[in-house]
Amino acid sequence: MQTIIYILPELFLSLTIMFLLMAGVFIKKSFKLVNLCTIASLAFAIVLVLNQADEITKIFNDSYIIDRLSIYMKILTLLFCIFVLLSSKDYLKINKIDKMEYPIIVLASTLGMIIMISSYDLIVFYLGLELQSLCLYILASFKRNEDRSTEAGLKYFVLSALASGLLLYGCSLIYGFTGSTNFEIISNKLDPSNTGAVFGIVFIIVGLAFKISAVPFHMWTPDVYEGSPTSVTSFFALVPKIAALTVFIRFMYVPFVNVFNQWQTIVIFISIASMILGAVAAIGQNNIKRLMAYSSIGHMGYALAGLATGTNSGIQSTIIYLIIYLVMNLGAFGCIFMMKRENTFFENINDLSGLSKNHPILSLSFLIILFSLAGIPPLAGFFAKFYIFMSVIESGMYTLAIIGLVTTVVSAFYYLRIIKIIYFDKPKKPFEQSYDWGLKVSMILSSILILIYFMYPSILIDIVSSVVIY
Amino acid sequence: MLAHTLFFYFFSTITVFSAIMVIVTRNTVYSVFFLILVFISVSVLFIMIGAEFLGMIMLIVYVGAVAVLFLFVVMMLNVVEQITQKPKRSGIINNMSVGSIVGAIIFLELLVVIGGWKYKGTFLPLSFTSTNSDLTNTHALGNILYTDYIHLFQISGMILLIAMIGAITLTFSKRENVKRQKYFDQIQREKSSGVSLVDVESGKGVTFDE
Repeated sequence: MQTIIYILPELFLSLTIMFLLMAGVFIKKSFKLVNLCTIASLAFAIVLVLNQADEITKIFNDSYIIDRLSIYMKILTLLFCIFVLLSSKDYLKINKIDKMEYPIIVLASTLGMIIMISSYDLIVFYLGLELQSLCLYILASFKRNEDRSTEAGLKYFVLSALASGLLLYGCSLIYGFTGSTNFEIISNKLDPSNTGAVFGIVFIIVGLAFKISAVPFHMWTPDVYEGSPTSVTSFFALVPKIAALTVFIRFMYVPFVNVFNQWQTIVIFISIASMILGAVAAIGQNNIKRLMAYSSIGHMGYALAGLATGTNSGIQSTIIYLIIYLVMNLGAFGCIFMMKRENTFFENINDLSGLSKNHPILSLSFLIILFSLAGIPPLAGFFAKFYIFMSVIESGMYTLAIIGLVTTVVSAFYYLRIIKIIYFDKPKKPFEQSYDWGLKVSMILSSILILIYFMYPSILIDIVSSVVIY
Repeated sequence: MLAHTLFFYFFSTITVFSAIMVIVTRNTVYSVFFLILVFISVSVLFIMIGAEFLGMIMLIVYVGAVAVLFLFVVMMLNVVEQITQKPKRSGIINNMSVGSIVGAIIFLELLVVIGGWKYKGTFLPLSFTSTNSDLTNTHALGNILYTDYIHLFQISGMILLIAMIGAITLTFSKRENVKRQKYFDQIQREKSSGVSLVDVESGKGVTFDE
């Protein structure tokens, strides 16, 4: 009974899922109600997570951990899930996919992510991963009468199942060569001479890299981002990344910490490849969702660069990078949601041309967000990259830092191109002005946070600096 | 012990025979029935070595669900067409080369596995593990599934729930102009609302305005 206190958020979320499912079935046209209840329950779950004990607790035979990292990441997951739901309400209604299952599946996938974040055992981790991916497959093909959406869902399903298979193979190798699925026991048993287990690590990294869409396992990202409904794309770009990156951090620094030299090369390679592809491949894109997909691949490359350092400051800079990435992407997708005219949403970059003449405020926040994504000081995106490069240089990996800087410059091109289209091209017909308040709040909030971050950088740094893995 | 051996050979002969029949029979429905026979005799073999849980699961899952699913799929295909087709002898000869290579590789792999067994590491013999012979398989599995692994069991339940919700959301469509059963309305209907007495004048018919 003692342990129930520690899994209150998870229990609460699962009970809410079942309760809302029943409510949604018996009440007619219940999307609005279910959506509202989902947001409220996510907010309540944040309170429950905040209430958790501060010291490290392991429950269920050490297979589930509650520590600083998991608490922070859970709060981030829940918070951004709320924002995604808030900002996508109008989109769902106009596209007629406002079914009551939508928020419930989002909730279930959040539950899966929370389980992943807290997992301290290969089996718990795998079940959490499957729970969240299963929900993501459904969400990707949620607009089922549109070909592109079903194609995205199927593509994601097939590729993700393959990645899960590889991951599971890695897990079984690790289990076979160390004799346990528990992270701590694996960490004690693992050493570089254990070739079989090191072989298993490669497979686990492949699976995890697929989940955060890092090169060379990124193939699904542009197609799935483009094909699925924009509300789902914004969910894809924000929330699963938190869980996957947390698990990445935990895997590398708890069970695999003794074979650091073995996996460091792999992570550096993945990081460099992601940064280069994210910068180069996005140049030719015309669809803004596709562009965001490549941009997120690039950003994940920078986040992994921090992870590859093997120092606590590197991990902390990765977490800060993740948080700022989330805020920027929330704003960017808010802008994409606003590209709406007579109940149709526009996705092409050319549709933005001359936006500044008709919508000065929208284009201003677009400007802020894009400058920040490009990493131009004094916006938050600059600081995110700055911390990463600081810790990378501190640990003496100059090649990684130089490649990172070069790709930043290259990627600035396509962000600046959008700004040029917004400010210097011929204006088109204005977009609609009637926005949902949730969309407005999330967009204004993210723009302001990006803008004023440089005044109080210590707040975020102080919070994150208490996350110490080892 | 003799009875055990006799039963083993009896059921394993059936297994091998029906496994061959699965691929040899030309009629796909027979083929599925032979597959069911394979599953049943394998589950008997499982029960004979004391793994009664595995045997029962084999019956429930493979025979009860998977084989029935196969049967449905096979029945939906056009079986008659396949039967009337003339068997082609040339197919066997054409596929012989690839088939024999694959067969040889599998045979070699089996040889390596069985041969490598001689050089296996030192494992603990079964008598060293503390097994309670009074417990049945089901009981032993339940003992850990509902205590040590209860959280995993529950998460699996959530995954299955989501799979169900997903299947319904992605395929269920409410069609218009379809008369559905409304149980409560149908049961609540009374004579007064359903039947009306009409005086029919002679020489004139009855018209309903509905």
